[in-house]
Amino acid sequence: MNIEIKNLKKKFDANLILKDINMTIEKNKSTIILGQSGCGKSVLIKTIYQLFSFDGGSILYDGKHDVEIDKFSMLFQYGALFDSLKISENIAFTDFINNKTNFDKKVLSLMNDVGLEKSIFHRYPSEISGGMKKRAALARALYKNPKVIFLDEPTTGLDPINSDKINELIIRVITKRKITAVSITHDIKSAIKTGDNYYFIDNGVVKDKGYCKNILKTKNKIFKSFINGAKY
Amino acid sequence: MQFIENIGEIFIKLFSNLGKFILFVLFFFKYLFKPKFYLKNNLSYFLNIFISSIPIIALTGIFSGMVLALQSYTGFSRFSAESAIPNIVVLTLTRELGPVLTGLMISARVGSSIAAEIATMRVTEQIDALKTLNTNYYNYLVTPRVLSLTLALPIFVTLVDFIGVMGGYLVSVYRLGFNDNLYLLNTIDFLNLIDYLSGIFKAIAFGFIISIVSCYCGLFSDKGAFGVGSATTNAVVISSILILSSNYFLTELFF
Repeated sequence: MNIEIKNLKKKFDANLILKDINMTIEKNKSTIILGQSGCGKSVLIKTIYQLFSFDGGSILYDGKHDVEIDKFSMLFQYGALFDSLKISENIAFTDFINNKTNFDKKVLSLMNDVGLEKSIFHRYPSEISGGMKKRAALARALYKNPKVIFLDEPTTGLDPINSDKINELIIRVITKRKITAVSITHDIKSAIKTGDNYYFIDNGVVKDKGYCKNILKTKNKIFKSFINGAKY
Repeated sequence: MQFIENIGEIFIKLFSNLGKFILFVLFFFKYLFKPKFYLKNNLSYFLNIFISSIPIIALTGIFSGMVLALQSYTGFSRFSAESAIPNIVVLTLTRELGPVLTGLMISARVGSSIAAEIATMRVTEQIDALKTLNTNYYNYLVTPRVLSLTLALPIFVTLVDFIGVMGGYLVSVYRLGFNDNLYLLNTIDFLNLIDYLSGIFKAIAFGFIISIVSCYCGLFSDKGAFGVGSATTNAVVISSILILSSNYFLTELFF
């Protein structure tokens, strides 16, 4: 699915968070959104997902204003697994709460795809590690076979080794399933590894864009400072 | 000038929150009559509330009845009207203390837990996750809690009434020297169905107030640990104030 965002504006009370966002999310490509904390990256992907309404501009999904959000899925920053449910019930959430019982096979296959051991099938989120939670949340996001997946800082809170594993997993999954991916990250290494295109947002507008493989060659001063961890 | 601005801001915030709350209640009724009913979720929530609240309900009932009998004796013995104690205990419990004390205790025990749980879900993006999983949070979170508590509170009040009367009986018979058969006979003879039903009606209203206020406070909490704390405090304080104030109007209704 192609997603075209034009002059998007979003405010909370009097605060204009997204001032003028223009970007194109290409079908079956991995688009990375970069920017400082608090610049509105999460608000942007939640607005594209239609979890938030917007105050100006337009979002076109394959050229149309309307979209069935059933085609979308999201991996939240800290997994957002439901604490009172077992991992298997979390992954097959919609089937589980609708009293469908024949989801075990599909869950086990997804757990295998994301590298989770069978032994955690009956465990609760509080009983597994941060890396496992991310994998379980990814399995939940893949359960409904989405066309577009939104990944909100998928490697946050993980050590470098686990971050690398999650990045490889994301590449494998989106390539194998031919999914359009939109990821938020602060991690330049992850962006180069997992992305095709990038957009750098600052102060509610897109300040730089390009191919992820060329991130380190950027000429944009603000983005350069961001990459080098300097104040701008 | 700044003072007037501050007062204006407080009123705007107050009325905007009130409007938001009224919309929330209207949406609750909309989804209640257009339900996607998660039976397992509803039942397990009802059982959870019911079982976890029984001990505090029993304690509230027994001690209220015992204290009521002792205090009534202090007053009524001054003009030789001790025989009215069974009547006073049963009337005060069924019409007033049963529903009000149960409401306040349940608001502290269950209301706070509803608000904290939902606020934590909001802070950790579980509410957003529900939306991405095509699940309406009114159907999944709000309806089970409101229905469970609105149905459970009349049962709790019935228990408090019964245990409270037994508490009054124990103190009256074993401490104040009442005749046991006469005490029970006076209690049963004097109690009218409307006395009991007025308490049950109050219980239904209080159950609804506690659950809907707690769900609202949780769902619209601020972010972070402070937000969860405020949501919990607000849920208990607002529910308690609404219980005490609506109690007057409900009493007028059955006066």
